Parts: sequence; structure tokens; C-alpha cells
Amino acid sequence: MKPAAFDYVRPDRLEDAADLLAEDGVGTKIVSGAQSLGPMLNLRLVRPGRLLDVTAIPALRTVEDAGDAVVIGACITHADIEDGRVPDAWGGMLRQLASGIAYRAVRNRGTVGGSLCHADPAADWLSILTALGAEARLYSRRGRRTVALESFVLGAFETALAADEILEAVRIPKLSGRARWGYSKSCRKAGEFAHAIGVVVDDPETGRCRAVIGATETPPILVADARGLLSGDGTVQADWVLRLLGEAGMQDPFEQQIHLVALERAGAQARL
Amino acid sequence: MTTRSIELTVNGTVCRAEVEPRTALADFLRDDLLLTGTHLGCEHGVCGACTVNIDGVPARSCITYAVLCDKAHVTTIEGFDGDEVVGRLRQAFSEEHGLQCGFCTPGMIATARDIVLRLPEADDARVRLELSGNLCRCTGYSGIVRAIRRVLDERKLAGQPAVNARTRLGPAGSGHAGASLGRERVGAGAAPAPAEAALPAPSQGSVAALPGDKLSGDAKPSVAVRHSFVVPERRDRVWAFFENVEDVVACMPGASLTEATPDGRLSGQMSVRLGPISATFLGNAEIARDPARYSGTIRGHGRDRTSGSGSTGEIRYALVDEGERTRVDIDVTASLTGTLAQFGRLGLVNDLVRRLTDAFSANLQARLRPGEPGGAAGEALAQPARLDLASMLLAVIGARLRLIANRLRGR
Repeated sequence: MKPAAFDYVRPDRLEDAADLLAEDGVGTKIVSGAQSLGPMLNLRLVRPGRLLDVTAIPALRTVEDAGDAVVIGACITHADIEDGRVPDAWGGMLRQLASGIAYRAVRNRGTVGGSLCHADPAADWLSILTALGAEARLYSRRGRRTVALESFVLGAFETALAADEILEAVRIPKLSGRARWGYSKSCRKAGEFAHAIGVVVDDPETGRCRAVIGATETPPILVADARGLLSGDGTVQADWVLRLLGEAGMQDPFEQQIHLVALERAGAQARL
Repeated sequence: MTTRSIELTVNGTVCRAEVEPRTALADFLRDDLLLTGTHLGCEHGVCGACTVNIDGVPARSCITYAVLCDKAHVTTIEGFDGDEVVGRLRQAFSEEHGLQCGFCTPGMIATARDIVLRLPEADDARVRLELSGNLCRCTGYSGIVRAIRRVLDERKLAGQPAVNARTRLGPAGSGHAGASLGRERVGAGAAPAPAEAALPAPSQGSVAALPGDKLSGDAKPSVAVRHSFVVPERRDRVWAFFENVEDVVACMPGASLTEATPDGRLSGQMSVRLGPISATFLGNAEIARDPARYSGTIRGHGRDRTSGSGSTGEIRYALVDEGERTRVDIDVTASLTGTLAQFGRLGLVNDLVRRLTDAFSANLQARLRPGEPGGAAGEALAQPARLDLASMLLAVIGARLRLIANRLRGR
């Protein structure tokens, strides 16, 4: 249960980190809080030649108000959001949901950026931030680019990050005071990875009504315009959901049912 | 060996040390500083026994490497001797039967202290929720919850407010020290070798007859996949194809054969990749054919040295005569042991086996297409050295898009 040997570098400038990645010849893996990577290293499932610690880069630990959105650095932790050290622009949604991720001891180190790059389909942020319409800001020596979160994750543990790219920040659109949201995750034990996730965000001010089914074995399933999916009383069009799940390759009736129920519960919360 | 100089303030004392980057904070505390009050249970962040305070807040010391915490403040159970809150918790745990064997207690105290300080309004349900990251297998938690309840009530009565020790942004313990590009420490100025380079070369002996690997089909199947497809070819020709082991193995993405004996024994390897995880299973298999029934069974077992995972699998195939056509039925059962299975996300592994079976079956169909020059075996399939799930997914999505496009065109 001890990791294989690896080398370690800790640049304090984004440019240096990008250089180290671009000139990588040893198999470099970026690390921030190490709360997902650590277990995989200890189990020797992952054996990088070198860890590149990005937590000394001040830009990745900042939060910026961008008017209609908040841009949070990749190294912002779940606890930073839970405790309100990141200003709340979502009517308490992100604070409340952050408090349900894993355990407090994990939230004190685990980061939003790390969670997104790890791209475990069962992770909370992937589904939540996809529902909010967040964007990933990527940096490399070749320049910067922005990728919508629904395009950022390609599959289980697979992202659109090129080998020389770093996730710099996440731009999360704010919610208006009239926004309604619901979130439901199915877990057998508090703090474990979800078996099914449902998210609904409905903001009449911006006209955005989005639903996400998460914790599938694929990227989160996004319904970008969910107005037809949800009836006025919060019930969900089950046929529509089952068709989406079938298209994503989910055949098992039990799996289909728990994902449908998760979305129904999220829908009911959003309409209460 | 590459080491790094670190400086930590542990229980109020400044310590400087040379550590390997892979040294967990818990191992540094226990083995180098002899602070053995920090316990190691699962070593992958689940049990909570190793929970210590880093920069004043609880964190896992088993999945936090010492080098990540350069210049941080760490408090272990030994450092809580004079802590007022922990003094009260110690008394309450003792009186309320908050421990029996004591293994979880150091981590439990760190978490309890956090609950009492951060959440003065917590009810019993919230206390239990907050304790979900600390496993106790003796008490059933009732005594622990009562102990924490008692200290919460005492503090409430005394009017003591909530305390949150954290003001900085970013991971607790990280971001104190500046850049460390480490070039000065690498042995003899050479580039560090990848971790794998230090390992002995794989030998055939390492895969033979390992305990826990069984050739017989009595391992509990963790995943079973069935496929059927129809080939517009007579059964005898399809059967002839299945006689040729090399061609059948070539249909499995990532698989390659190193040896095949006439009596149906095979050795080979299979590489799979799932995000950051890559595994190469080296193993043996044997084929049993039943020409009378046009069916056969391939049983195999393999072992991935890097992850210490074992895999047992069985592929059964049967050819059903449908006149000018042949139906091919394939049943795959596979089970996994070791770290890949312990990783606890068997759904993803099962999904991988399903996708491998899909690809295997698709390749078989392609090879069995009629009219290929020199018979079915004449065509060489593109054989990826490694299975890349992303490209596979994209291929699946691409196929689905083509279907939708065809439907739109009324086909």
C-alpha cells in the first residue's frame, strides 16, 4: 500500500508548470489535493514518473467575480466553497452541495479542479457544474482555451485536456434570486461515491433550465433545455429519461430506475 | 533515489528532513518522528484512522504526501495533550464508552474536535453524518455520539461560539513553500527514471500458477456478457476460422499471443487502459473444442504485476446452423481480484469488459465477412497496442450519430 517511487516538482508560476508539462519525458501527473490521486497511487493503479504540484501557483488559488459568473481557481477546495470562503452567488446551492462531498477531512484538501480533471463520472462537481453551465479554462504554452464542461469530459476518467494543458480555472455562471434547483444522489453510505445523481437547475431570469443525470459510466447526460422534461408539479417525463439512459448504453433496469428516481427527486425539489 | 528537503512544524516543533516524494505524511510522522499515535488502517482515505490536523483542520495523512505539506503545521494526537477541547473529549469518550480497541480513536478525536468547534448547533444526526468518514468497528458509534453530544452541550451552555480555523484558500497544508523544481537533488544530474524502470523484467514464471488464480470455472463471476450475431457464411467455414487461435486472439483489442501449442495451451498478454489506470495482464489460457457440437471454451487467467490484480475469464462460443448463415453465440464471464477489484468501482471495470466484448465481437464479424481474399483469415485488422477508451467511446458516439443521420434521411 505504498506508492511506487516518483519524482516531484512544485513550480510557483503557471508558465513554469506549462513548460514542465510540455517538456515532459518522464510521465508527469498534475496533483493538487491528492484526494483522488492519492488512493490510486497508494494502490499502485497509477504510477507516474513525476508529480507536478500546482498548489504553489497563486493564480490557481484565487476567486474572481466576473459579473454574471464567478471564476474559481482550479485549487479551490470543496471546504472553501462549503465554508463560504468563495462568495456565494448561487443562493446557497454550491455551499450546501459541497458539504455533501466525501468527508470533511477530504474536503479540506480535495479541489474542484482536481475532481473535474479526474473525471470520475460518480463525482459531484462534474454533474453539478455541468448543470450550471460552467466552463473549464485550460492553459498551455500554446495559449488559453475555454471548453464547456459537457465537452470537457469525454468518458470515464477521460477529459479533453491535452498532454501539455493545465486546468487553470472554472467559470461558473451565477444564479438569480428566482432560480430553483434540486439535487439528489443515491448512496448506500454517507460520503461514498454516488450510484446515481440527478440535478435540475431552473433560472427564469436567464431562461436557463437544465437537467443532468450523473454517476453513469459515461459523461454526465445533459438535457440543455429541460423545460419539456419537467412538468409544472415537478414530475419528470420518465419515457424521455429512459430513452436518454438507453442511448447512453445503460441497459440494466435497476440502474435505469435509480437514475430515474434521482432525477425525479431533484425535479421535485426544484418545483417545491 | 530522489529526495526532497522539507520543513514541517509538528506539534509545535520545527522538523527538517529529507524525504522521498512518495512518503505519506502518516509514514513520516510514524517512522521518522516516531509519533505512532497516528494510525494507518486502509491507506486509501476511507477509514479515517490516520486523520490529523493540518493547518488546524482535519485531513487524511495516508493520502497526503509529506512533501505536499512543506512548511505546514501538523498536529497529531500526541500534540493535543494540552488542548482544552480534546481534554474534554478524552474525558467524555472514556465515560461514555466512546472506544473499545482504540484503533480508530486518534482519528476519531481529530474529527470530534472539528465537529465540536465548527458545528456547535449539530444535532445527533449531523454528528453521525460528520463521523461517516471515520470507521469504528467496536462501539456501534452510540458511545462516540454521546461523548461528542456531551461536549457540544457543555460548550453551548458556556456560550462558546463556532470556530473555523481555516482562512486561506486551497488545500490545507499546501501553498506555504515556494517553488521546488528539484533539479539540484536528482542523483548524478541524470533525468529521473520512470518508476517502472526500477522493477525487474517480467518473467514467464511470474504468471504461472499463482494462488487465487484458478483455471477451473469456479471463481465467482463478477461480470457476464452475452453476444449473438449472424454471419452470412456456412457453419463449416466459420468453424474453420475458430480453429485458428491467432486469428481469434487478434480480434481482442489489446491482446497478443506469445505462445500457442497444438494441444490448445496459450500464453499471452492483454493491455487495457482506463483513464489514468493502465494494466497489462500476463497469463495462460487453454482451449477446449467440441467439434460435434460446434462449440468451444477458452479459459484463462492472468495477472497484472503493476497493480497486483488477478483476472480469471472464460469465453464460450457456439455456432448455430441457420442454413446459408451461421449464428455465433458468445458468452464471456470474468472476475477480478486484487487492487483493481479493491478499488471499489467494479462498475467501471465491468463496463470495460462489456466494451471489450463488444469490440471482440465486432472484430470477429469483420473477419468473418464473406468474399475476403484467401478466406476469413486473410485480412489483417488494425490492432491497437493499447485500448484507448476515449477513442473507443468516440467510435461508439460516431456510430450512433450515423444511425441518427440515417433515420433523419428516412433509411
